[in-house]
Amino acid sequence: MKIISCIKPVPDPASRLTINETKTWIKDQDLTFVASEADNYALEEALRLKERHQGEVAVVSMGGEEAARVLRSGLAMGADRAIHLLDAKFKGADEFAAAATLAKAIEKDGGADLVLTGVQSDDLGTGMTGTMLAEFLGWAHATVVVGVEADPDKKSVKVKRELEGGINETVELPLPAVLTIQFGINQPRYASLKGIMAAKKKEFKVWSAADLGLSDDAIGKSGAKYEVREILIPERKSKVEIISGTPDEAVATLVEKLRKEAKVL
Amino acid sequence: MILVIAEHKDNKLKSITSELLVFAQRVGRDFGQPITAVAVGAGASVVAEDLRKSKIDRVIVAESSELGEYNPDAYVQILSAIIEKESPFLVLIGHTTQGMDFAPRLAVACRKPLIAGCVEYEKQGDRLILTRQIFNAKMNMKTAPKGEPAYFATSTPGAFPADELETGGSAELASFPVSFAGKPRRTVVERVEAPKGQTDLSSAPIIVSGGRGLKEKANFNLIFELAEALGASVGASRPVVDADWLPREYQIGSSGQTVSPRLYIAVGISGAIQHLVGMQNARCIVAINKDADAPIFKVAHYGIVDDLFKVVPALTRICKDLKQA
Repeated sequence: MKIISCIKPVPDPASRLTINETKTWIKDQDLTFVASEADNYALEEALRLKERHQGEVAVVSMGGEEAARVLRSGLAMGADRAIHLLDAKFKGADEFAAAATLAKAIEKDGGADLVLTGVQSDDLGTGMTGTMLAEFLGWAHATVVVGVEADPDKKSVKVKRELEGGINETVELPLPAVLTIQFGINQPRYASLKGIMAAKKKEFKVWSAADLGLSDDAIGKSGAKYEVREILIPERKSKVEIISGTPDEAVATLVEKLRKEAKVL
Repeated sequence: MILVIAEHKDNKLKSITSELLVFAQRVGRDFGQPITAVAVGAGASVVAEDLRKSKIDRVIVAESSELGEYNPDAYVQILSAIIEKESPFLVLIGHTTQGMDFAPRLAVACRKPLIAGCVEYEKQGDRLILTRQIFNAKMNMKTAPKGEPAYFATSTPGAFPADELETGGSAELASFPVSFAGKPRRTVVERVEAPKGQTDLSSAPIIVSGGRGLKEKANFNLIFELAEALGASVGASRPVVDADWLPREYQIGSSGQTVSPRLYIAVGISGAIQHLVGMQNARCIVAINKDADAPIFKVAHYGIVDDLFKVVPALTRICKDLKQA
Protein backbone atom coordinates (compact mmCIF):
# COMPACT_ATOMS: atom_id res chain seq x y z
CA MET A 1 0.00 0.00 0.00
CA LYS A 2 1.08 3.51 -0.69
CA ILE A 3 0.10 5.89 2.07
CA ILE A 4 0.60 9.64 2.14
CA SER A 5 0.45 11.34 5.50
CA CYS A 6 -0.10 15.12 5.54
CA ILE A 7 1.54 17.12 8.30
CA LYS A 8 0.80 20.71 9.22
CA PRO A 9 3.44 22.66 11.14
CA VAL A 10 1.91 24.61 14.04
CA PRO A 11 3.40 26.62 16.90
CA ASP A 12 4.58 24.44 19.76
CA PRO A 13 1.56 24.22 22.11
CA ALA A 14 3.75 25.50 24.94
CA SER A 15 4.40 28.80 23.15
CA ARG A 16 2.86 32.07 24.22
CA LEU A 17 0.96 33.38 21.23
CA THR A 18 0.59 37.07 20.49
CA ILE A 19 -1.24 38.79 17.67
CA ASN A 20 0.80 40.59 14.97
CA GLU A 21 0.67 44.35 14.21
CA THR A 22 -1.77 44.05 11.33
CA LYS A 23 -3.98 41.78 13.47
CA THR A 24 -4.14 39.22 10.68
CA TRP A 25 -2.18 36.38 12.27
CA ILE A 26 0.05 35.62 15.21
CA LYS A 27 3.64 36.78 15.52
CA ASP A 28 5.27 33.64 14.23
CA GLN A 29 8.88 34.70 13.61
CA ASP A 30 10.38 33.45 16.84
CA LEU A 31 8.16 30.46 17.50
CA THR A 32 9.17 26.82 17.44
CA PHE A 33 7.01 24.75 15.11
CA VAL A 34 5.99 21.14 15.61
CA ALA A 35 3.62 18.77 13.84
CA SER A 36 -0.02 19.46 14.67
CA GLU A 37 -1.00 16.91 17.32
CA ALA A 38 -3.66 15.04 15.35
CA ASP A 39 -1.25 14.72 12.39
CA ASN A 40 1.07 12.70 14.62
CA TYR A 41 -1.72 10.20 15.20
CA ALA A 42 -2.29 10.10 11.44
CA LEU A 43 1.37 9.39 10.72
CA GLU A 44 1.52 6.69 13.40
CA GLU A 45 -1.54 5.04 11.84
CA ALA A 46 0.11 5.23 8.40
CA LEU A 47 3.26 3.56 9.76
CA ARG A 48 1.21 0.79 11.38
CA LEU A 49 -0.70 0.17 8.13
CA LYS A 50 2.60 -0.14 6.30
CA GLU A 51 3.88 -2.60 8.91
CA ARG A 52 0.79 -4.74 8.33
CA HIS A 53 0.46 -4.47 4.55
CA GLN A 54 3.92 -3.52 3.26
CA GLY A 55 4.35 -0.62 0.87
CA GLU A 56 5.53 2.85 1.72
CA VAL A 57 4.66 5.96 3.68
CA ALA A 58 5.39 9.41 2.28
CA VAL A 59 4.96 12.55 4.34
CA VAL A 60 3.96 15.86 2.76
CA SER A 61 3.91 19.33 4.23
CA MET A 62 3.53 22.88 2.93
CA GLY A 63 5.45 25.86 4.29
CA GLY A 64 8.92 27.20 4.89
CA GLU A 65 11.64 25.88 7.21
CA GLU A 66 8.94 24.89 9.74
CA ALA A 67 7.50 22.42 7.21
CA ALA A 68 10.97 20.97 6.51
CA ARG A 69 11.35 20.49 10.27
CA VAL A 70 8.12 18.51 10.73
CA LEU A 71 8.94 16.46 7.64
CA ARG A 72 12.35 15.54 9.08
CA SER A 73 10.61 14.46 12.30
CA GLY A 74 8.21 12.38 10.23
CA LEU A 75 11.12 10.66 8.48
CA ALA A 76 12.77 10.05 11.85
CA MET A 77 9.55 8.43 13.10
CA GLY A 78 9.74 6.01 10.16
CA ALA A 79 8.24 7.55 7.02
CA ASP A 80 10.12 6.48 3.87
CA ARG A 81 10.29 9.80 2.06
CA ALA A 82 9.20 13.41 2.25
CA ILE A 83 7.69 15.98 -0.09
CA HIS A 84 8.18 19.61 0.87
CA LEU A 85 5.84 22.07 -0.84
CA LEU A 86 7.96 25.18 -0.67
CA ASP A 87 7.17 28.44 -2.43
CA ALA A 88 6.67 32.00 -1.21
CA LYS A 89 3.49 31.96 -3.31
CA PHE A 90 1.95 29.30 -1.03
CA LYS A 91 1.93 31.74 1.86
CA GLY A 92 -1.43 32.96 3.12
CA ALA A 93 -3.32 29.89 1.92
CA ASP A 94 -6.61 29.07 3.60
CA GLU A 95 -7.92 25.51 3.91
CA PHE A 96 -9.32 25.63 0.36
CA ALA A 97 -6.04 26.71 -1.24
CA ALA A 98 -4.06 24.30 0.95
CA ALA A 99 -6.27 21.37 -0.04
CA ALA A 100 -6.01 22.33 -3.74
CA THR A 101 -2.21 22.45 -3.46
CA LEU A 102 -1.96 19.16 -1.56
CA ALA A 103 -4.23 17.47 -4.11
CA LYS A 104 -1.94 18.55 -6.96
CA ALA A 105 1.11 17.29 -5.10
CA ILE A 106 -0.53 13.92 -4.44
CA GLU A 107 -1.50 13.63 -8.09
CA LYS A 108 2.02 14.56 -9.20
CA ASP A 109 3.38 11.88 -6.88
CA GLY A 110 1.26 9.32 -8.72
CA GLY A 111 -1.65 9.18 -6.28
CA ALA A 112 -1.86 6.81 -3.32
CA ASP A 113 -4.07 4.14 -1.78
CA LEU A 114 -4.69 6.16 1.34
CA VAL A 115 -4.13 9.77 2.35
CA LEU A 116 -4.25 10.42 6.08
CA THR A 117 -4.58 13.78 7.83
CA GLY A 118 -5.29 14.76 11.41
CA VAL A 119 -8.96 15.37 12.21
CA GLN A 120 -8.16 19.05 12.79
CA SER A 121 -5.16 21.28 13.21
CA ASP A 122 -4.06 22.95 16.43
CA ASP A 123 -4.16 26.42 14.86
CA LEU A 124 -7.22 26.95 12.63
CA GLY A 125 -8.74 23.82 14.09
CA THR A 126 -11.78 23.55 11.89
CA GLY A 127 -11.18 20.15 10.30
CA MET A 128 -11.79 21.27 6.73
CA THR A 129 -8.62 20.50 4.83
CA GLY A 130 -8.71 16.69 4.76
CA THR A 131 -12.29 16.55 3.55
CA MET A 132 -11.70 19.30 0.98
CA LEU A 133 -8.68 17.34 -0.23
CA ALA A 134 -10.90 14.30 -0.82
CA GLU A 135 -13.22 16.37 -3.00
CA PHE A 136 -10.33 17.86 -5.01
CA LEU A 137 -8.98 14.35 -5.57
CA GLY A 138 -12.45 12.94 -6.24
CA TRP A 139 -11.91 10.19 -3.66
CA ALA A 140 -14.14 8.77 -0.95
CA HIS A 141 -13.41 9.93 2.59
CA ALA A 142 -14.20 9.35 6.24
CA THR A 143 -13.80 11.83 9.10
CA VAL A 144 -13.07 11.39 12.83
CA VAL A 145 -11.51 7.95 12.35
CA VAL A 146 -10.66 5.89 15.45
CA GLY A 147 -9.84 2.57 13.77
CA VAL A 148 -8.56 1.49 10.33
CA GLU A 149 -8.69 -1.97 8.78
CA ALA A 150 -7.43 -1.98 5.23
CA ASP A 151 -7.93 -4.73 2.68
CA PRO A 152 -5.53 -3.83 -0.15
CA ASP A 153 -6.50 -6.89 -2.24
CA LYS A 154 -10.16 -5.93 -2.20
CA LYS A 155 -9.16 -2.30 -2.68
CA SER A 156 -11.26 -1.29 0.29
CA VAL A 157 -10.91 -0.06 3.82
CA LYS A 158 -13.14 -0.42 6.86
CA VAL A 159 -12.91 2.42 9.30
CA LYS A 160 -14.46 3.13 12.65
CA ARG A 161 -15.69 6.70 13.11
CA GLU A 162 -16.41 8.45 16.39
CA LEU A 163 -19.81 10.13 16.26
CA GLU A 164 -21.40 12.37 18.85
CA GLY A 165 -22.86 10.86 21.96
CA GLY A 166 -20.41 7.98 22.27
CA ILE A 167 -21.59 6.25 19.12
CA ASN A 168 -19.07 4.51 16.91
CA GLU A 169 -19.89 3.85 13.30
CA THR A 170 -18.05 1.39 11.08
CA VAL A 171 -18.08 2.32 7.40
CA GLU A 172 -16.56 0.69 4.36
CA LEU A 173 -15.11 2.70 1.52
CA PRO A 174 -13.23 1.96 -1.67
CA LEU A 175 -9.56 2.85 -2.08
CA PRO A 176 -8.17 5.31 -2.80
CA ALA A 177 -9.58 7.25 0.12
CA VAL A 178 -8.82 10.14 2.47
CA LEU A 179 -9.17 9.55 6.21
CA THR A 180 -9.07 12.24 8.90
CA ILE A 181 -7.67 10.65 12.04
CA GLN A 182 -9.00 11.36 15.52
CA PHE A 183 -6.83 12.07 18.57
CA GLY A 184 -6.10 8.99 20.67
CA ILE A 185 -6.48 6.35 17.91
CA ASN A 186 -3.01 5.05 18.83
CA GLN A 187 0.09 5.98 20.79
CA PRO A 188 2.42 7.78 18.39
CA ARG A 189 5.99 6.49 18.60
CA TYR A 190 8.95 8.66 19.38
CA ALA A 191 11.77 8.93 16.89
CA SER A 192 14.70 6.77 17.92
CA LEU A 193 18.30 7.94 17.57
CA LYS A 194 18.67 5.35 14.83
CA GLY A 195 15.57 6.77 13.15
CA ILE A 196 16.97 10.28 13.30
CA MET A 197 20.24 9.14 11.72
CA ALA A 198 18.44 7.12 9.04
CA ALA A 199 16.19 10.09 8.19
CA LYS A 200 19.17 12.01 6.85
CA LYS A 201 19.61 9.51 4.01
CA LYS A 202 15.96 9.36 2.98
CA GLU A 203 14.50 10.97 -0.15
CA PHE A 204 13.44 14.58 0.42
CA LYS A 205 11.77 16.24 -2.57
CA VAL A 206 11.07 19.96 -2.75
CA TRP A 207 8.32 21.10 -5.09
CA SER A 208 7.34 24.68 -6.00
CA ALA A 209 4.08 26.02 -7.40
CA ALA A 210 5.57 25.77 -10.90
CA ASP A 211 6.49 22.11 -10.29
CA LEU A 212 2.85 21.45 -9.44
CA GLY A 213 1.61 23.38 -12.49
CA LEU A 214 -0.62 25.53 -10.32
CA SER A 215 -1.57 29.03 -11.41
CA ASP A 216 -0.96 31.90 -9.00
CA ASP A 217 -4.64 32.58 -8.46
CA ALA A 218 -5.22 29.02 -7.17
CA ILE A 219 -2.65 29.11 -4.38
CA GLY A 220 -1.65 31.04 -1.29
CA LYS A 221 -3.46 34.24 -0.43
CA SER A 222 -4.95 34.68 -3.93
CA GLY A 223 -6.31 31.14 -3.89
CA ALA A 224 -7.88 31.63 -0.46
CA LYS A 225 -11.66 31.88 -0.38
CA TYR A 226 -11.79 34.31 2.51
CA GLU A 227 -9.86 37.31 3.78
CA VAL A 228 -8.78 37.53 7.36
CA ARG A 229 -10.13 40.85 8.64
CA GLU A 230 -9.00 40.74 12.23
CA ILE A 231 -7.69 38.39 14.88
CA LEU A 232 -8.62 39.22 18.43
CA ILE A 233 -8.72 37.77 21.91
CA PRO A 234 -12.38 37.14 22.70
CA GLU A 235 -13.74 38.92 25.70
CA ARG A 236 -14.88 36.55 28.34
CA LYS A 237 -18.51 37.26 28.93
CA SER A 238 -18.29 36.40 32.59
CA LYS A 239 -16.06 37.32 35.46
CA VAL A 240 -16.01 34.60 38.04
CA GLU A 241 -17.48 35.32 41.42
CA ILE A 242 -15.57 33.34 44.02
CA ILE A 243 -17.78 32.31 46.90
CA SER A 244 -15.98 32.11 50.23
CA GLY A 245 -16.80 30.64 53.61
CA THR A 246 -16.80 27.15 55.06
CA PRO A 247 -17.95 24.45 52.66
CA ASP A 248 -21.44 24.53 54.18
CA GLU A 249 -21.69 28.31 53.99
CA ALA A 250 -20.26 28.41 50.48
CA VAL A 251 -22.67 25.87 49.01
CA ALA A 252 -25.64 27.57 50.71
CA THR A 253 -24.64 30.90 49.12
CA LEU A 254 -24.02 29.17 45.80
CA VAL A 255 -27.44 27.52 45.69
CA GLU A 256 -29.07 30.83 46.64
CA LYS A 257 -27.27 32.59 43.79
CA LEU A 258 -28.06 29.85 41.29
CA ARG A 259 -31.75 30.19 42.16
CA LYS A 260 -32.19 33.94 42.58
CA GLU A 261 -29.42 35.50 40.50
CA ALA A 262 -28.64 33.10 37.67
CA LYS A 263 -32.12 31.54 37.80
CA VAL A 264 -30.84 28.17 36.65
CA LEU A 265 -32.04 26.01 39.54
CA MET B 1 -31.81 33.70 0.37
CA ILE B 2 -30.36 31.88 3.32
CA LEU B 3 -30.40 28.10 3.12
CA VAL B 4 -30.40 26.19 6.38
CA ILE B 5 -29.42 22.54 6.02
CA ALA B 6 -31.41 20.74 8.71
CA GLU B 7 -29.64 18.02 10.68
CA HIS B 8 -32.01 15.25 11.67
CA LYS B 9 -32.04 11.66 12.82
CA ASP B 10 -34.82 9.15 13.41
CA ASN B 11 -37.50 11.60 12.22
CA LYS B 12 -36.38 14.25 14.70
CA LEU B 13 -34.49 17.49 14.23
CA LYS B 14 -31.18 17.68 16.07
CA SER B 15 -30.87 20.62 18.45
CA ILE B 16 -28.24 22.28 16.23
CA THR B 17 -30.95 22.86 13.62
CA SER B 18 -32.78 25.34 15.87
CA GLU B 19 -29.49 27.15 16.45
CA LEU B 20 -28.93 27.36 12.68
CA LEU B 21 -32.44 28.76 12.26
CA VAL B 22 -31.75 31.43 14.90
CA PHE B 23 -28.49 32.31 13.10
CA ALA B 24 -30.46 32.51 9.83
CA GLN B 25 -33.25 34.64 11.33
CA ARG B 26 -30.70 37.17 12.60
CA VAL B 27 -28.68 37.36 9.37
CA GLY B 28 -31.93 37.36 7.42
CA ARG B 29 -33.16 40.42 9.29
CA ASP B 30 -29.87 42.31 8.91
CA PHE B 31 -29.42 41.56 5.21
CA GLY B 32 -33.07 41.42 4.12
CA GLN B 33 -32.81 37.80 3.04
CA PRO B 34 -35.60 35.21 3.13
CA ILE B 35 -34.95 31.86 4.77
CA THR B 36 -35.36 28.40 3.29
CA ALA B 37 -34.71 25.26 5.30
CA VAL B 38 -33.69 22.07 3.51
CA ALA B 39 -34.26 18.55 4.79
CA VAL B 40 -32.53 15.74 2.90
CA GLY B 41 -32.94 11.98 3.15
CA ALA B 42 -35.10 9.55 5.09
CA GLY B 43 -37.50 11.34 7.43
CA ALA B 44 -37.20 14.65 5.58
CA SER B 45 -40.95 15.13 5.12
CA VAL B 46 -41.55 14.38 8.82
CA VAL B 47 -39.04 16.91 10.12
CA ALA B 48 -40.24 19.42 7.50
CA GLU B 49 -43.41 19.82 9.57
CA ASP B 50 -41.29 20.81 12.58
CA LEU B 51 -39.22 23.18 10.46
CA ARG B 52 -42.41 24.90 9.28
CA LYS B 53 -43.23 25.85 12.86
CA SER B 54 -40.38 28.34 12.93
CA LYS B 55 -40.68 31.73 11.32
CA ILE B 56 -39.09 31.07 7.94
CA ASP B 57 -40.27 31.38 4.37
CA ARG B 58 -39.92 27.97 2.82
CA VAL B 59 -39.00 24.36 3.46
CA ILE B 60 -37.53 22.15 0.76
CA VAL B 61 -37.87 18.41 1.17
CA ALA B 62 -35.45 16.21 -0.76
CA GLU B 63 -36.54 12.67 -0.15
CA SER B 64 -36.83 9.49 -2.17
CA SER B 65 -37.14 5.79 -1.47
CA GLU B 66 -33.59 4.98 -2.62
CA LEU B 67 -32.20 7.71 -0.39
CA GLY B 68 -31.70 6.39 3.12
CA GLU B 69 -30.00 8.04 6.03
CA TYR B 70 -27.11 10.47 5.83
CA ASN B 71 -24.40 9.79 3.28
CA PRO B 72 -21.78 12.35 2.17
CA ASP B 73 -21.90 11.50 -1.55
CA ALA B 74 -25.68 11.80 -1.69
CA TYR B 75 -25.71 15.00 0.37
CA VAL B 76 -23.06 16.69 -1.77
CA GLN B 77 -24.77 15.75 -5.01
CA ILE B 78 -28.30 16.74 -3.93
CA LEU B 79 -27.31 19.91 -2.11
CA SER B 80 -25.11 21.07 -5.01
CA ALA B 81 -28.14 20.76 -7.29
CA ILE B 82 -30.36 22.68 -4.85
CA ILE B 83 -27.74 25.40 -4.43
CA GLU B 84 -27.32 25.74 -8.17
CA LYS B 85 -31.07 26.16 -8.58
CA GLU B 86 -31.66 28.48 -5.63
CA SER B 87 -28.48 30.66 -5.79
CA PRO B 88 -28.47 31.35 -2.05
CA PHE B 89 -26.54 34.14 -0.37
CA LEU B 90 -25.58 32.02 2.63
CA VAL B 91 -25.74 28.28 3.35
CA LEU B 92 -25.76 27.35 7.05
CA ILE B 93 -24.69 23.92 8.25
CA GLY B 94 -24.04 22.59 11.76
CA HIS B 95 -20.43 22.44 12.94
CA THR B 96 -21.11 18.88 14.02
CA THR B 97 -19.60 15.53 13.10
CA GLN B 98 -22.16 15.16 10.35
CA GLY B 99 -22.02 18.76 9.15
CA MET B 100 -18.24 18.73 8.96
CA ASP B 101 -18.34 15.43 7.12
CA PHE B 102 -19.96 16.99 4.04
CA ALA B 103 -19.69 20.81 4.26
CA PRO B 104 -16.02 20.96 3.12
CA ARG B 105 -16.75 18.66 0.15
CA LEU B 106 -19.85 20.67 -0.76
CA ALA B 107 -17.97 24.00 -0.67
CA VAL B 108 -15.21 22.60 -2.90
CA ALA B 109 -17.78 21.06 -5.26
CA CYS B 110 -19.38 24.52 -5.60
CA ARG B 111 -15.96 26.28 -5.55
CA LYS B 112 -17.26 28.68 -2.91
CA PRO B 113 -15.94 29.85 0.49
CA LEU B 114 -16.59 27.89 3.66
CA ILE B 115 -16.10 29.51 7.04
CA ALA B 116 -16.22 26.66 9.52
CA GLY B 117 -16.87 26.89 13.25
CA CYS B 118 -18.63 30.28 13.29
CA VAL B 119 -19.63 31.77 16.63
CA GLU B 120 -20.72 35.27 15.57
CA TYR B 121 -21.31 37.43 12.54
CA GLU B 122 -21.54 41.12 11.80
CA LYS B 123 -22.57 43.39 8.98
CA GLN B 124 -19.85 45.74 7.76
CA GLY B 125 -21.44 47.90 5.08
CA ASP B 126 -23.00 45.36 2.79
CA ARG B 127 -20.54 42.65 3.67
CA LEU B 128 -21.08 39.67 5.88
CA ILE B 129 -18.23 39.15 8.32
CA LEU B 130 -18.12 35.74 9.96
CA THR B 131 -16.20 35.16 13.18
CA ARG B 132 -14.73 31.80 13.99
CA GLN B 133 -12.63 30.50 16.84
CA ILE B 134 -8.99 29.57 16.27
CA PHE B 135 -6.20 28.17 18.45
CA ASN B 136 -8.66 26.13 20.50
CA ALA B 137 -10.90 29.14 21.14
CA LYS B 138 -8.05 31.23 22.52
CA MET B 139 -8.53 33.72 19.68
CA ASN B 140 -11.27 34.78 17.32
CA MET B 141 -10.76 35.34 13.62
CA LYS B 142 -13.04 37.69 11.71
CA THR B 143 -13.26 36.66 8.08
CA ALA B 144 -14.81 38.08 4.95
CA PRO B 145 -15.75 35.46 2.36
CA LYS B 146 -14.43 36.42 -1.08
CA GLY B 147 -16.13 36.50 -4.46
CA GLU B 148 -19.77 36.17 -5.34
CA PRO B 149 -22.10 34.19 -3.03
CA ALA B 150 -23.00 31.48 -2.12
CA TYR B 151 -21.04 31.57 1.13
CA PHE B 152 -20.98 28.48 3.31
CA ALA B 153 -20.72 28.61 7.09
CA THR B 154 -20.84 25.98 9.80
CA SER B 155 -22.08 27.12 13.18
CA THR B 156 -20.47 25.93 16.42
CA PRO B 157 -22.98 24.16 18.69
CA GLY B 158 -24.10 26.52 21.45
CA ALA B 159 -23.06 29.69 19.61
CA PHE B 160 -26.64 30.75 18.85
CA PRO B 161 -29.37 30.28 21.49
CA ALA B 162 -31.90 27.70 20.30
CA ASP B 163 -34.48 29.07 22.73
CA GLU B 164 -34.59 32.39 20.88
CA LEU B 165 -36.02 30.78 17.76
CA GLU B 166 -38.94 32.79 16.44
CA THR B 167 -41.90 30.58 15.69
CA GLY B 168 -45.28 31.08 14.10
CA GLY B 169 -44.36 31.19 10.46
CA SER B 170 -46.35 29.78 7.60
CA ALA B 171 -43.55 28.39 5.52
CA GLU B 172 -44.36 27.19 2.07
CA LEU B 173 -43.53 23.54 1.48
CA ALA B 174 -41.65 22.51 -1.64
CA SER B 175 -40.22 19.23 -2.72
CA PHE B 176 -37.02 18.83 -4.65
CA PRO B 177 -36.96 15.94 -7.08
CA VAL B 178 -34.13 13.67 -6.00
CA SER B 179 -32.24 11.77 -8.61
CA PHE B 180 -29.20 10.41 -6.90
CA ALA B 181 -27.02 8.95 -9.61
CA GLY B 182 -25.11 5.88 -8.60
CA LYS B 183 -24.38 4.20 -5.30
CA PRO B 184 -22.79 6.08 -2.42
CA ARG B 185 -19.18 5.00 -2.10
CA ARG B 186 -19.26 4.92 1.66
CA THR B 187 -21.51 2.34 3.25
CA VAL B 188 -22.33 1.88 6.91
CA VAL B 189 -21.43 -1.57 8.21
CA GLU B 190 -22.54 -1.16 11.79
CA ARG B 191 -23.20 1.38 14.47
CA VAL B 192 -22.51 0.66 18.10
CA GLU B 193 -24.44 2.81 20.51
CA ALA B 194 -23.42 3.37 24.06
CA PRO B 195 -25.97 2.41 26.75
CA LYS B 196 -29.10 4.52 26.45
CA GLY B 197 -29.79 7.43 28.74
CA GLN B 198 -26.13 8.15 29.41
CA THR B 199 -25.12 9.32 26.04
CA ASP B 200 -26.54 12.40 24.44
CA LEU B 201 -25.49 15.23 26.71
CA SER B 202 -26.08 17.81 23.99
CA SER B 203 -29.59 18.52 25.21
CA ALA B 204 -29.06 17.95 28.95
CA PRO B 205 -30.28 20.97 30.95
CA ILE B 206 -27.93 20.36 33.90
CA ILE B 207 -24.58 18.56 33.84
CA VAL B 208 -22.30 17.68 36.74
CA SER B 209 -18.86 16.87 35.42
CA GLY B 210 -15.87 15.38 37.22
CA GLY B 211 -12.15 15.48 36.52
CA ARG B 212 -8.79 14.27 37.68
CA GLY B 213 -9.22 16.09 41.00
CA LEU B 214 -11.41 13.21 42.17
CA LYS B 215 -8.18 11.20 42.44
CA GLU B 216 -9.67 7.74 41.92
CA LYS B 217 -12.52 5.91 40.26
CA ALA B 218 -14.45 5.13 43.47
CA ASN B 219 -14.67 8.83 44.30
CA PHE B 220 -16.69 9.44 41.16
CA ASN B 221 -19.70 8.38 43.24
CA LEU B 222 -19.65 11.91 44.64
CA ILE B 223 -20.45 13.17 41.15
CA PHE B 224 -23.24 10.64 40.60
CA GLU B 225 -24.79 11.50 43.97
CA LEU B 226 -24.75 15.23 43.28
CA ALA B 227 -26.16 14.64 39.79
CA GLU B 228 -28.97 12.56 41.22
CA ALA B 229 -29.83 15.21 43.79
CA LEU B 230 -30.02 17.80 41.01
CA GLY B 231 -31.70 15.59 38.43
CA ALA B 232 -28.63 16.24 36.28
CA SER B 233 -26.63 14.26 33.73
CA VAL B 234 -23.04 13.21 34.38
CA GLY B 235 -20.04 14.18 32.29
CA ALA B 236 -16.28 13.85 32.58
CA SER B 237 -13.04 15.33 31.35
CA ARG B 238 -10.70 13.39 29.10
CA PRO B 239 -8.24 12.15 31.80
CA VAL B 240 -11.13 10.44 33.60
CA VAL B 241 -12.07 8.56 30.46
CA ASP B 242 -8.46 7.79 29.52
CA ALA B 243 -7.98 6.31 33.00
CA ASP B 244 -11.05 4.09 32.40
CA TRP B 245 -13.02 5.48 35.33
CA LEU B 246 -15.91 6.04 32.93
CA PRO B 247 -16.71 4.99 29.35
CA ARG B 248 -15.85 7.30 26.47
CA GLU B 249 -19.43 8.50 25.97
CA TYR B 250 -19.19 10.63 29.11
CA GLN B 251 -16.35 12.70 27.74
CA ILE B 252 -16.96 16.41 27.24
CA GLY B 253 -14.56 18.46 25.16
CA SER B 254 -12.99 18.78 21.76
CA SER B 255 -12.74 15.04 21.23
CA GLY B 256 -15.91 14.23 23.16
CA GLN B 257 -19.27 15.90 23.31
CA THR B 258 -20.00 19.59 23.01
CA VAL B 259 -22.64 20.66 25.49
CA SER B 260 -24.54 23.84 26.25
CA PRO B 261 -26.65 23.16 29.34
CA ARG B 262 -28.38 25.72 31.51
CA LEU B 263 -26.07 24.80 34.40
CA TYR B 264 -22.66 23.11 34.26
CA ILE B 265 -20.91 22.16 37.47
CA ALA B 266 -17.22 21.32 36.97
CA VAL B 267 -15.76 19.40 39.89
CA GLY B 268 -12.02 18.84 40.13
CA ILE B 269 -11.56 19.84 36.49
CA SER B 270 -8.61 22.15 35.87
CA GLY B 271 -10.02 23.27 32.53
CA ALA B 272 -7.65 22.27 29.76
CA ILE B 273 -8.65 24.13 26.62
CA GLN B 274 -9.81 20.86 25.05
CA HIS B 275 -12.38 20.61 27.83
CA LEU B 276 -13.36 24.28 27.76
CA VAL B 277 -14.26 24.24 24.08
CA GLY B 278 -16.81 21.56 24.85
CA MET B 279 -18.64 23.36 27.65
CA GLN B 280 -17.91 27.08 27.67
CA ASN B 281 -21.22 27.92 26.03
CA ALA B 282 -23.14 26.68 29.07
CA ARG B 283 -25.41 29.45 30.35
CA CYS B 284 -24.10 29.18 33.92
CA ILE B 285 -20.84 27.51 34.91
CA VAL B 286 -19.87 26.60 38.47
CA ALA B 287 -16.32 25.48 39.21
CA ILE B 288 -15.26 23.64 42.34
CA ASN B 289 -11.50 23.29 42.56
CA LYS B 290 -8.87 23.79 45.21
CA ASP B 291 -6.47 25.46 42.78
CA ALA B 292 -7.49 29.12 42.44
CA ASP B 293 -5.33 29.47 39.31
CA ALA B 294 -7.05 26.63 37.46
CA PRO B 295 -8.12 27.87 33.99
CA ILE B 296 -11.66 26.60 34.61
CA PHE B 297 -12.21 29.74 36.73
CA LYS B 298 -11.66 31.87 33.62
CA VAL B 299 -14.88 30.60 32.10
CA ALA B 300 -16.82 29.99 35.31
CA HIS B 301 -19.50 32.34 36.63
CA TYR B 302 -19.34 31.09 40.21
CA GLY B 303 -16.41 29.41 41.86
CA ILE B 304 -15.64 27.70 45.13
CA VAL B 305 -11.93 27.39 45.84
CA ASP B 306 -11.80 24.58 48.34
CA ASP B 307 -11.43 20.83 48.81
CA LEU B 308 -14.03 19.15 46.60
CA PHE B 309 -14.26 16.23 49.05
CA LYS B 310 -15.79 18.67 51.54
CA VAL B 311 -17.72 20.92 49.17
CA VAL B 312 -19.45 18.34 46.99
CA PRO B 313 -21.08 16.30 49.82
CA ALA B 314 -22.30 19.58 51.35
CA LEU B 315 -23.75 20.66 48.01
CA THR B 316 -25.41 17.26 47.53
CA ARG B 317 -27.04 17.54 50.97
CA ILE B 318 -28.45 20.98 50.32
CA CYS B 319 -29.77 19.95 46.88
CA LYS B 320 -31.46 16.88 48.37
CA ASP B 321 -33.14 19.07 50.97
CA LEU B 322 -34.31 21.42 48.25
CA LYS B 323 -35.74 18.57 46.24
CA GLN B 324 -37.76 17.38 49.23
CA ALA B 325 -38.97 20.86 50.10
